[in-house]
Amino acid sequence: MKRAIFLFYLLVALSSSVNAQTPKELWTNANNFYSKAQYADALQSYLKIEESGYASESLFYNLGNCYFKINEIGKSILYYERALKLNPSDQDLLNNLSLAKDFSLDKIEEVPDFILKTWIEDINYSFSSDTWSYFTLLFFAAMALLLLNFRFGLSSRLRKISFFLAMASLLLGFVAGYFSLSQKYRYSLKNTAIVMKPVSTVRSSPDDSGKSLFILHEGTKLELLEEIGEWKRIELADGRQGWITSLDIEVI
Amino acid sequence: MIVMYLKRVMLLMGSLVISIACMAQGAFTVDAPRVVELDESFRLVFTTNSEPTSFNPPTFSGFDVLAGPSASTMSSTQIINGKKTESFQVSYTYVLQPKSVGKFTISAASVVIGGKGYTSNPITIEVVKGDGSVAGNTEKSAQATGNVSGNDIFMRMSISKGRVVKGESLVATLKIYTKVPISGFESVKFPTFNGFWSQEIETPSNIEFVRESVNGKIYDAAVLRRYMLVPQQTGSLAIEPSEIICNIQIKSPTGAGQRSVFDDFFESYQTVKKRITAPGMHIMVDALPAGAPATFAGGVGDFQMSAKLTRDTVSANEAVSLIVTINGTGNINLIEAPKIEFPADFEVYDVKISDKSNQTNKGVSGIKEFEFPIIPRGSGHFVLGPVKFSYFDISSRKYITLSSGDLILKVGKDKGGNSGMSSSLSLGVNKQAVKNLTNDIRYIHSGLSHLKRGNQFFVASLTFYALLVLMISLYFVTNRFLSKRIERNRDVAGVKNRRANKVARARLKTAESFLKQKLYTGFYEELHRAILGYCSDKLALPLSDLSREKIAEILTQKSVKPDLIQELLSLIEACEYARYAPDPGGVEMDKNYSRAIRLISDLEV
Repeated sequence: MKRAIFLFYLLVALSSSVNAQTPKELWTNANNFYSKAQYADALQSYLKIEESGYASESLFYNLGNCYFKINEIGKSILYYERALKLNPSDQDLLNNLSLAKDFSLDKIEEVPDFILKTWIEDINYSFSSDTWSYFTLLFFAAMALLLLNFRFGLSSRLRKISFFLAMASLLLGFVAGYFSLSQKYRYSLKNTAIVMKPVSTVRSSPDDSGKSLFILHEGTKLELLEEIGEWKRIELADGRQGWITSLDIEVI
Repeated sequence: MIVMYLKRVMLLMGSLVISIACMAQGAFTVDAPRVVELDESFRLVFTTNSEPTSFNPPTFSGFDVLAGPSASTMSSTQIINGKKTESFQVSYTYVLQPKSVGKFTISAASVVIGGKGYTSNPITIEVVKGDGSVAGNTEKSAQATGNVSGNDIFMRMSISKGRVVKGESLVATLKIYTKVPISGFESVKFPTFNGFWSQEIETPSNIEFVRESVNGKIYDAAVLRRYMLVPQQTGSLAIEPSEIICNIQIKSPTGAGQRSVFDDFFESYQTVKKRITAPGMHIMVDALPAGAPATFAGGVGDFQMSAKLTRDTVSANEAVSLIVTINGTGNINLIEAPKIEFPADFEVYDVKISDKSNQTNKGVSGIKEFEFPIIPRGSGHFVLGPVKFSYFDISSRKYITLSSGDLILKVGKDKGGNSGMSSSLSLGVNKQAVKNLTNDIRYIHSGLSHLKRGNQFFVASLTFYALLVLMISLYFVTNRFLSKRIERNRDVAGVKNRRANKVARARLKTAESFLKQKLYTGFYEELHRAILGYCSDKLALPLSDLSREKIAEILTQKSVKPDLIQELLSLIEACEYARYAPDPGGVEMDKNYSRAIRLISDLEV
């Protein structure tokens, strides 16, 4: 047993010496670099964390900040959008994203959605997926307690109220669960992208001979519809469609 | 207006001369052509404006004195609207002829006027080997051809520097050279300077011709225009050709052989129009070297800077000015105001620029003053500047940054006094919104990183499901536990009830049979006996000790409900009463029987 523990420590020591820095150290270093306005160094450290397979809303947010500071607006928007997929409710993130979008050239009039859908989305995105999942568990726990009260309550009036409350909790629990799952699903969907090239042409067909429909600039968000070879069919927020080469964009 | 010319009548005007001599200023000048031809005789004239007592002639090396000095006196008196002005002039004239080609200097001459000595400047005369067609004696060439060749008259643009850096000033001079008399100009087309900031620094209204030698030939030359140019672009900038049409007077070509007497006597002149152009030229403009400091404001030349505040102690809401003065030579007109960062609390108004500059042949020198009017809104101790001004130094080919020291401004409390804001200030502080200076992104999240590999979401994770399952199973366990307990509780009560009922029914068995037989007295006796018996059994009391009070007391001690006790007592009473009372009917019997059953059951439970 003792030998096994010793071996385990040895392995950990080896792996850390190979990796040079743990993600935690990298994170602290990167934050220090950023606070000293050495944005390029901070960026390198954050990217190392990302390369080692880690992700978090804070990591993407900080990456977005670094890219913004070194004037790479496209990348900055890309990482903000990635962070937004993990937590659509962070105020700092929303603020910085809107500022970064001010620096991108394309102004696209969004087609307004059905008002109810917008409302529901607003409610959904006012909390992160994790928060909604905690709500789900809470509501289910509340429902369980209320059902017990309904079954074994002393007065009939209390039992009646308990029943209705339990039903409401069940409903809310399902809604919260749906929101939480929908955000998780949205994250797994790779159907949006950001234009990375300063100028990129959108064509009418998936080859270079296609007619140029319009020009997009760095930082514009696109929806991906289908893919043929190196070409992707995209739709803008205002409904216009076309084909763009995969080299010019990066999927969020 | 009376103009009088009197020559060599000095004696006649003797008395006048004395009076003029008294107010003499004693100027002594020399006048001679700068360029002469080898075999040309020319005049050298020394002039003074009062009667000299002695004249020391200069030494002439390289020249033969053909005649002179011949002194002449000129005096004039003007009376204009009753105002009399007089002038007096004495001149000594030499007629000279050069001996050889070259440059010769005639030394200074001196005069003594009123006991004081005056000296003229030495004069240098260039002697060239001419072709005989001296300007002014144009008859020969004009006569010969009856036409004017390009050599006789031309125009030329000359520039002070051929290669400059952007922003460096240069002077361009447009000159006309002629050997023929010109009577006038027509349709003058002056050059345009594309890519330059240009300013005319000399626009003579009277064109004055001065002799000049060009390639060994003598011309009358005159400046038409002089420009100051400051290139604003880099590369090879073209100065476009300029063009002028001259009216030239030439002797009219008279008909062959037909020379009348009058032709010889009155030379007839004819005006010929000739178009002459000054060729265009190129100026190489180099870009300023890279690495200009951020405070570079376009100045090229040689400058000094100073900055000062009009006052260093003010009250809040009181105006004060920061004055930045730049002086030196170079493109001072094109210098922009230096950028100064004032504290955000200061109200800064538009810069006032005043410009005192004079153009010379070398460029522009002068003073430029930038006045920044500011009003500090809050009190405190402020450090302004340092004001920095950078320029490109032409001689050292380097950027030079001048910096003023820190300017310290003490702002005291608002005096209020007669300012418009005093009324609101006396009531309270003037609130102002927090101004956004610039927009910037918010700071990074520097707290916990929440780094996770793989699945980023809690929902549908193993923990989530485990918690959900745990919750459901907890519910079922609790539910089962609670329902079991209730079940058990309910069973105990049921058994007890059933047993109590059984006991009651057994006790009242005889009473029941009497009830069925409708034996009134027997029923009540039996009922009374059964109840008392039950009580004696239950309370472990002998029948003889049983009284209503005793029963009530013991039952109260055993914490039996008071309404049950009351019921028991009232039933016993009812039984005792009924034993001696007449039969009121079967209904009462049934009622009392069921009362007894219920009472015993309840007491048993």
